[in-house]
Amino acid sequence: MNILLLLKNEALKLVKKTRAWLGPILIFILIMVAFPLTIELTSNNLSDAFYPVLFISILLVMMLATEGIFLEDYEDGTLELFLISKKSLSQWVFLKIFMHWLLIGVPISLLGAFFNLGANNDLSSSLMIFPALLIATYIFLILFCFGNSLSLTKGSALGTLITLPLTLPILVILGKLNTAIIFNINYFEFLILIFGVLSIIIFAFPAIISRIIKTHLE
Amino acid sequence: MLREILIIVIKKFIHQFASPKTYFYQVNRLYPWLLYISISIYISAIIWGLFFTPKDFVQGHSYRIIYFHVPASFVAQSLYAAMAISSAVFLIWRVKLAAYLARSIAPVGAMVTFIALVSGSIWGIPTWGTWWEWDARITSTLILFIMYLGLISLHNSFNNFDKADKLFSYLAIIGFVQIPIIKKSVDWWSSLHQPASITISDKPSIDPSMLYPLFMAMIGFAGLVACIVILSSKVQIYIREKNKNWVKDYV
Amino acid sequence: MESSYLIEANNLAYKINEVKLFTNFSFSLKAGEALHIKGSNGSGKSTLIRILCGITPSSKGKVYKKDELVFSYLGHKNALKTYLSVRDNISLLGLSDHEGLESLLSLLDLSEKLDVIVANLSFGQQKKVALLRIFLTGADLILLDEPFVGLDSNSHDLLCKFLEKKLHAGSGLIYTSHIPTGIRSKDITLD
Repeated sequence: MNILLLLKNEALKLVKKTRAWLGPILIFILIMVAFPLTIELTSNNLSDAFYPVLFISILLVMMLATEGIFLEDYEDGTLELFLISKKSLSQWVFLKIFMHWLLIGVPISLLGAFFNLGANNDLSSSLMIFPALLIATYIFLILFCFGNSLSLTKGSALGTLITLPLTLPILVILGKLNTAIIFNINYFEFLILIFGVLSIIIFAFPAIISRIIKTHLE
Repeated sequence: MLREILIIVIKKFIHQFASPKTYFYQVNRLYPWLLYISISIYISAIIWGLFFTPKDFVQGHSYRIIYFHVPASFVAQSLYAAMAISSAVFLIWRVKLAAYLARSIAPVGAMVTFIALVSGSIWGIPTWGTWWEWDARITSTLILFIMYLGLISLHNSFNNFDKADKLFSYLAIIGFVQIPIIKKSVDWWSSLHQPASITISDKPSIDPSMLYPLFMAMIGFAGLVACIVILSSKVQIYIREKNKNWVKDYV
Repeated sequence: MESSYLIEANNLAYKINEVKLFTNFSFSLKAGEALHIKGSNGSGKSTLIRILCGITPSSKGKVYKKDELVFSYLGHKNALKTYLSVRDNISLLGLSDHEGLESLLSLLDLSEKLDVIVANLSFGQQKKVALLRIFLTGADLILLDEPFVGLDSNSHDLLCKFLEKKLHAGSGLIYTSHIPTGIRSKDITLD
């Protein structure tokens, strides 16, 4: 079985379960639509509060997107089948996370940049926030996958409790990035910083997650 | 050939030494000594610190909570390091005792972190005029507390101890890598807290008359916490090995 | 290890939370042989099969497999995606253009169910789809955990005949079952 087949399988599984795929995206849209309603229409604060709300809602939506990400394959026995077929489990985890990012993370990043256009009326800041969102969604996905793999059979609340502290450094960098975009200084430094974080965890975490999953199957 | 023999000898030694039974009896012998020595060190440090040191120029007498707060924050972080190291030992060499130790450190660590948080809040009222501030170190200590609780709840949610130990160890190690990062990042974000009074690289920014009792207090506090860890690890050993004959005999 | 054996186990033991489940379990299996693992509920049959597969590590003892042994395993879980059709489920493993697919489908009476969503199949039919996927992988050793549960007598006989044919063709079989099967096999009882 080659990589293409694995990718195709993950895409098929995700798209056929509309609630797992479209659900997070729709919830993101709803949060983004609901947030201006809580601020007075005449207020100028909308653009100030926009970035924090954007980052936190992305965090929450990624949490929803990874809910039970390994649970189904664990419960129906697919993981066992996979394990004995002597294929690399960490490769499979990597591809699964990648597919989730492609089908959920990328659309949400696009939407985030789009909503930024509405909030700030500024095309250049949208173009700046888009790559940051692409990277941030991937990092959050990986971290939540880690938490979910630990609490595989024990519900996603435990996984979230474990993972949220780990996401704090990323949120801090995103906060700094927000300032960088507003004042248009040091933007690329922060972008490279989160890209560096991503390039470390993108391969390290699937390996750890696969070991954790093997422990669960024992 | 020689290397293989050496490995076998070392393995034998580790297995002998790291058997819960040996640990249990050795620790039983050590425990009273450790307890009385640490209590006397800590009490004398407190008497010295409270009655025989001058009051602080800025903070007045309220700074004296330092003899409680600083040891607690120091031990809270050291315990996490100890837990991560024993987790790594368990994952690499499959030493069961290391897993028991890691698990038994977690609740003690949570407790000490809680003490550090509360004593910090009490100190904050006269000094900063607020008991809670979204300051870098307070936030990272709070996160440390949450991570301890997360580890405990992760371990408790599995009935198969072997599985629970492994998952616990993975999380403890990842957390160990993450904690300095979280600390640095929150530090970067904002800081109101005074910089650390004692660092390895710089000369301490604290007067020697306050420093010596502080050191003593740290040693005494660490010893007391070690005693609690010993008690907690005995409980763990009892829970895990209650079907073994030597535990039955002991009880 | 001697190459004539497909799989060999030496003094296997398993304990959970320091409580022993079984000890001193040994056997060896040549090509064309079947092994029937018997035992009461909770005697560790499923765990034993998982140890043989290499999913669960044993507490003691070792399992030796022939070099590059291809084996397949079906446990209590079917590994089927219930929201996909039978055809999609087969193609998940990359087996959709396997040459033996048509004949096996008609043998297991599944030819007309190819485009049905798995969730709409009965329990026994789902079991048959899972078995079909196992057989298509062309394994030298087949490990089955209670494969006969939920099958009607007709399918039961079909499966037995099919397994015997596989044995004749030189593959090995290890299975647990509390229903008598009529497959000529060595028996081992766990206590």
